[in-house]
Amino acid sequence: MSYFFDSKNTKQMPKGRVEGIAKVTGKAKYSAEYDIPDVAYGVMVGSTIASGRILKMQVEEAMKAPGVIDILSHENKPYVSGFSGMKEMPDNRFGLPVFYTDKVYYNDQPIAMVVAETIEDAMFAASLVKAEYEEAIPETDFAKKVKEVSLKETENDRGSVGAWENAPYKVDQEYTIAKEIHNPMEMHATIVQWKPNDKLVLYDKNQGVNRVQSVISSLFDIPTDNIHVISEFVGGGFGSGLRVWPHTIAAVMASQQVKRPVKVMLTRPQMFTMVGYRPESWQRVKLGADKDGQFMGIIHQARNNSSKIQGFSDGITRVTRKIYGFKNVKTEEAIVELNLPMPTWNRGPGDTTGCFGVESAIDELCHELKLDPVEVRLKNIAPYEMETGLPWSTNYLNECLEKGAELIGWKNRNPVPGSLKEGDYKVGYGVAVGMWGSGRSYTGASIDMQKDGVITVRTAMTDIGTGTGTGMQNVAHTVTGIPKSMIKIELGNSDFPKAPSQGGSRGMASVSSAVYAASLALKRKVAGYAWPDKDANSLNIDDISLSDKGVTYKDNFVPYADIFSKNNLNDIKVEEFAGPGEERKKYGFCSSAAHFYKVKVHEKTGKIKVDRMVIVVDAGRIINPKAAANQVIGAGAGGIGMGLMEEQLVDFKTGRLIGNDLAGYHFAVNADVPLIEVSFIGKPDPNINPSGAKGLGEVGIIGAAPAIANAVFNATGKRVRDLPITVERFFNA
Amino acid sequence: MKHSHSNAMSMSRRFFLRSSSALAALSFIPNSVKAFYQDVKEKFFVKKQMIPIQLEINKKQYSLTVDSRATLLDVLREELNLTGSKKGCDHGQCGACTVHINGERALSCLTLAAMAQGKAITTIEGLADGDNLHPMQEAFIEHDGFQCGYCTSGQIMSAVACVDEGHTGSVEEIKEYMSGNLCRCGAYNGITEAIQQVAK
Repeated sequence: MSYFFDSKNTKQMPKGRVEGIAKVTGKAKYSAEYDIPDVAYGVMVGSTIASGRILKMQVEEAMKAPGVIDILSHENKPYVSGFSGMKEMPDNRFGLPVFYTDKVYYNDQPIAMVVAETIEDAMFAASLVKAEYEEAIPETDFAKKVKEVSLKETENDRGSVGAWENAPYKVDQEYTIAKEIHNPMEMHATIVQWKPNDKLVLYDKNQGVNRVQSVISSLFDIPTDNIHVISEFVGGGFGSGLRVWPHTIAAVMASQQVKRPVKVMLTRPQMFTMVGYRPESWQRVKLGADKDGQFMGIIHQARNNSSKIQGFSDGITRVTRKIYGFKNVKTEEAIVELNLPMPTWNRGPGDTTGCFGVESAIDELCHELKLDPVEVRLKNIAPYEMETGLPWSTNYLNECLEKGAELIGWKNRNPVPGSLKEGDYKVGYGVAVGMWGSGRSYTGASIDMQKDGVITVRTAMTDIGTGTGTGMQNVAHTVTGIPKSMIKIELGNSDFPKAPSQGGSRGMASVSSAVYAASLALKRKVAGYAWPDKDANSLNIDDISLSDKGVTYKDNFVPYADIFSKNNLNDIKVEEFAGPGEERKKYGFCSSAAHFYKVKVHEKTGKIKVDRMVIVVDAGRIINPKAAANQVIGAGAGGIGMGLMEEQLVDFKTGRLIGNDLAGYHFAVNADVPLIEVSFIGKPDPNINPSGAKGLGEVGIIGAAPAIANAVFNATGKRVRDLPITVERFFNA
Repeated sequence: MKHSHSNAMSMSRRFFLRSSSALAALSFIPNSVKAFYQDVKEKFFVKKQMIPIQLEINKKQYSLTVDSRATLLDVLREELNLTGSKKGCDHGQCGACTVHINGERALSCLTLAAMAQGKAITTIEGLADGDNLHPMQEAFIEHDGFQCGYCTSGQIMSAVACVDEGHTGSVEEIKEYMSGNLCRCGAYNGITEAIQQVAK
């Protein structure tokens, strides 16, 4: 394994993540970087129409190109049991039936894969693959079709609309957000190697190895145990790695067909069409309050685009039912099916979108009421989990708001828009909040102790940059007492104890519990070997501690060397699983954040610069302070992208994406982002799990974009209700 | 020597632009002259050609036979298993493939391997002195200047050059001169702070 660890190295290492050295020296191996002998290169070919049917593949010229081994398409593919039995598209839970349909549902839909000897050969030959189509007129314009689709009740309504009909203060506005592409820096890639007896190894970029294992298992009808998925280093995900996408399935098919290992790495333009995106959305928020700013009721309607292959609802109104104590709530949603690639979960899915509508509307209401937006929010925070009626286990959103206001200097804000200036810039302050349900899933971890006392902690969970491995080391160290320099971490491998995908801010809340359980089990097991005359299970676990040299129970000490030799052991192994329990029936769980931003808007050019970002987060106990702050910083940077620049445009006639690369699609670069100021409430949640950590990957972005929009309003008096706030939207507002 | 090399580079790029716009114009010609188009295509698109080259990477000499179309990045990653240089876009838009050529930052995805002959190439693998990390590598660990780590090699190579170039006068200046290296995780605080520390 490449994770940093060298017990012989006595040099003082800089304090940082467990995998720090691997990442700064280039030694960390991402999925496309394993050196597999005899590997062939696969390149995906996409359709050039957005709707219709392939009449014939034209691969003759490509087949003649140097180095080409084979070209897979619906005319030339191996048997895939999951696709062969498929009837109609809605029946197919795997998404696009790769090479098992002649129908075209969106532009750049994978229609072929060229397999060749080298990457140059494969890229060149892929440029020669063509198809003859029967073309239909595609539907690709969300704005045009959005109102034609009827809304459906989410069946979570509270109270009634009539109860606040006569609210003295009301806001009723519509908000839209453009499609946003995840674009992790590592392009999705996979190396597939079939081995004898239907065994399969995948070095795959994804957020959950067990998910890949189960999808490939059911598609190809082979036992999960035959499928080994390795995702040790994952170059970012943000949700794009939560599904198994066509290129991975195509690579499995290709490797089977050409009887060689096959490597495929998507091109950056393919990253825009083949691995999901945050769907385009429309929302209407109608909000009512009394003269004191007490909310009386809300109607939240939302629609998001989906593909024609599978419906995807982003869950945009969920957040409305959660953050505030509305007595009257009506929420409705719908999906708009278009000839566009499949959308999927993108960081803070649904809630990030929904919060833009709700948090903007609240700001509009506060302006009308002439009340402070921090005070109004404090007054209306949900006193308990509104949907279930359960008391919050912990919810310190109020403290987030109070602390954030103090840190940004909220008192310097002038509630009258356009009243502050710095040079040629108008200056404004904005606030918004975010909340995310704190989940936890059944997760396994194992610990393996060697004779020298060095332990290796393992889980199948991936670390997509979130600091999972470092968190595991911190928990194992805290619980066992073994120094960190003697704790190795291995993860992202389906041979290790099963774990859920790294997503939904559940990673640390889940795996920390499993490592906690395994650490306790290790203490007990080592003590059992050290004092065989005592009943290990009856010893008080707090009286047992492990060190670099051995185990201590009260005043007794036994060195590891004695334990291993007396019991004739090579290693000591424990494996434990942990998951949610009865506490879920007693409490509501949430993480939350308050965003306080200062923006500058250039009077003449309309350039918007986010000058300060203060983000205060309640995520329970913080296990990795540095990595946790980094997560929130990154989410804030994502919020700048969402608020000011990220926008995937579509050519409505052809359904092709416009500017589908990193020059055409802009997300925040270093100069776009100020040094973000992050702080944590840091109070452990006593009920969620033994560590008290609630998860924080999402809340850093939920509320970020509306905080920018609200600050722009405070700076200029212009209310922009459509994201991103580009210069032309700003001037047209 | 260096001068004539850069001349050759810009000439070939101009030639490429001219020839590609000529081809774009040809695409509007009706089917009847398709044969002519084919002839032109044969003339402009050089067939696959394997060429012997010598590269100096991290002070080590390599003799290789590579596809004339191969980029330095693909040769590093696919031929030499030097996978520290990352492919993030293959179009010079993200900076993940940044290496040093003759001590200056360069995008290896926009550099044909054949163009890198006779030059000193340094990749992330060549930055540390054995087990002793380069101060910038240490600073990135200490300031958590990364999350997923995929852009990190390019960030560090650019950061080292940024300090050498003297573009570290302020946070704003560092941020400006590091904006060719994208980080989707958004670990910009740590990147900037690491550079500030090394620049001191």
